[in-house]
Amino acid sequence: MDVKRHVDIIRVNPDDWPDGTPAHKAPDPDLGHALIPAARYTSADFMKLEWDRMWSKLWLLGGRSDDLKEAGDYICTDIGRESVLIVRQADGSVRAFHNVCLHRGNKLRPEGTGHADNFQCMYHHWEYDHAGVIVRIPDLDTFPQGGPPCGRIPEVKAGEWGGFVWFSLNPDAPPLMDYLDPIPQHLDPYHFERMAWKRDITIEWDCNWKASVDAFNESYHVQGIHPQLKWYLDDINIQYDCYERHSRYLIPFATVSPRVVLPSAIPPAIYEIMVKAGMDPADYDGRVSDIRRDVQKFMRANGKARGRDYSELNDDQLTDDYHYTIFPNVQLNCHADDLMLFRQRPHPTDPDKMLYDLWMFELVPEGEEWPERPKRLYFKHGDKSIGQVLDQDAFNLPTVQKGMHSSAFEGLWIGDQEIRIRHFHKVLNDYIYGHNGPGEGDI
Amino acid sequence: MDLGLSGKKALVVGGARGIGFAVAEILAREGCDVAITARSEDSVKDAVANLRKYGTNVIGSLVNVMKADEYKAWLEGIIAELGGCDILVPITSAGGGVGSEKYWTRAFEVDVMGPVRAVEAVLPGMTERGGGSIVLIATTSAKEAMGGPQPYNAMKASLITWGKQLGLAHGKDGIRVNIVSPGPVEFEGGNWDMIKGTMEKFYNGLIRQQPTGRFGTPEEIARAIVFLASPAASWCNGSHLVVDGGFTNCTHF
Repeated sequence: MDVKRHVDIIRVNPDDWPDGTPAHKAPDPDLGHALIPAARYTSADFMKLEWDRMWSKLWLLGGRSDDLKEAGDYICTDIGRESVLIVRQADGSVRAFHNVCLHRGNKLRPEGTGHADNFQCMYHHWEYDHAGVIVRIPDLDTFPQGGPPCGRIPEVKAGEWGGFVWFSLNPDAPPLMDYLDPIPQHLDPYHFERMAWKRDITIEWDCNWKASVDAFNESYHVQGIHPQLKWYLDDINIQYDCYERHSRYLIPFATVSPRVVLPSAIPPAIYEIMVKAGMDPADYDGRVSDIRRDVQKFMRANGKARGRDYSELNDDQLTDDYHYTIFPNVQLNCHADDLMLFRQRPHPTDPDKMLYDLWMFELVPEGEEWPERPKRLYFKHGDKSIGQVLDQDAFNLPTVQKGMHSSAFEGLWIGDQEIRIRHFHKVLNDYIYGHNGPGEGDI
Repeated sequence: MDLGLSGKKALVVGGARGIGFAVAEILAREGCDVAITARSEDSVKDAVANLRKYGTNVIGSLVNVMKADEYKAWLEGIIAELGGCDILVPITSAGGGVGSEKYWTRAFEVDVMGPVRAVEAVLPGMTERGGGSIVLIATTSAKEAMGGPQPYNAMKASLITWGKQLGLAHGKDGIRVNIVSPGPVEFEGGNWDMIKGTMEKFYNGLIRQQPTGRFGTPEEIARAIVFLASPAASWCNGSHLVVDGGFTNCTHF
């Protein structure tokens, strides 16, 4: 690899943390070296296969549990052409049903969160309760056939884990926790339920949803489009772990990439990490290469006094990015004090477009007031900045998507640093084509 | 022009990287025995090994300039090991920083007291032998605003005054003291290299202010330092030389 220095990153001994997030390296899967067909990113046929065999079959992220505090609080979220209402019930559970009025097909609610005593359709005021059961049809006596005999909007499976609500359009979906395995064991120690909304943004990107998932499944592009991050993280000493359908990588933060010569001054972004941890960089006497470990020690020693309980996290988790992909479309940058989550959704009809949900959460220190939830923003790529690093990613993706259409581009040429992309496509393959993979003529 | 450096003994406080290393390298190439130091063991070792290729005696070890007693003992030891000191270039710096009183303390300890303690360590020997040369390193940021009102800028400025008055005081003993103020200098692992990578707009804005469209190299600064340090600059005493490729706006009357 193109490095200037050899760096031995200090990592925790996984055996020292038997009850926390498993830190062991998983064996690298043998996934071959084949091209990943570019047509998967552009084909309407493949998009349909994805819907029929994947999106409609597995568990999907719906929103945050803390947006459903009281009975009647709901989250309305779209996936593809479908729209779902996820509602808190009087007994504390969540239930979900399709967001559609059985009368003339109007959507009951726009995307977003809110509260409803009953879900009344705006069109003719048909009313549904928190479980989607019809409770009132105005002028019922003018419907000689009566109301729809099922009496309710078809239900959608719903469940909760990790401070988030999940749903599945597949009535035969396996239990949520089986689907998520081993993610809950890995991520429960972060206690996302102690974190509050910081940003809630949906952006239309001009690329296929998989191009976005791919971008965040590798760090090979740091030296390409995020050169400034070389003074923030180690993009060489990354641990890659692929599980049955989900995957992760562990990226050391608060350190300088072996791709550049170690500076003697503290890089600006690492300076910010120190300040955020409660350290005084002006008082720091160590070398830049010692900062990561010293931040870990400082947070370990001072977390409690600052209202932050890191007791279930290992030392690496105090600085590093534990980056998880929950198949197919949820990516979590897990940090001790915050969570940066991406949910990537296909455009309902156009394989060249997608919806990028950027959800950020911050740990609320014990004793501090829970901050007000930020309003959800929705815009098109380029209308507003979402921060330097993500702007760099977003700026790049439309040109990736355009290139996918080139007659000279057959498919993705994937290297070892992109093992998670290969793994993601293997899992996708399994859903689309079964374990035997694509046959003759398949994309 | 012969610089007359062959056989001289030179101490470069902070000579493992950047301008300091370039100074040490030219001195070694010109035939000086050289002693250096740095903050990390590895970089001292690497630099010493590198400098030995010119065939003179090169030594070096680790010291923390912030720790006065340790630093004074180190100076005494290394000067003895070098066999005296004809040339001193103290170049260690704590660098910039704003927003905390501690940056004043650091700049004072490293940028001011670093040179002060080194000068005090070499002066008796130089006086005894009837000669010596000292070059202090300030910065163009002492003359023109850069990066806000920083302890670094103000502390470095004090060296220009002190250096001139040192030269006046010790000229009778054949000791010359001069000051070099470098403009922005770029090298791998240096601050401007990092700023180019992390704050590209700021970097490009400053590059546009450079008449030649680039920053200086360590060698370009080091050549001026070594000249002033050498017997060839025998009539330069108390001079302050700005070496910045024309970066500063003011006229240096």
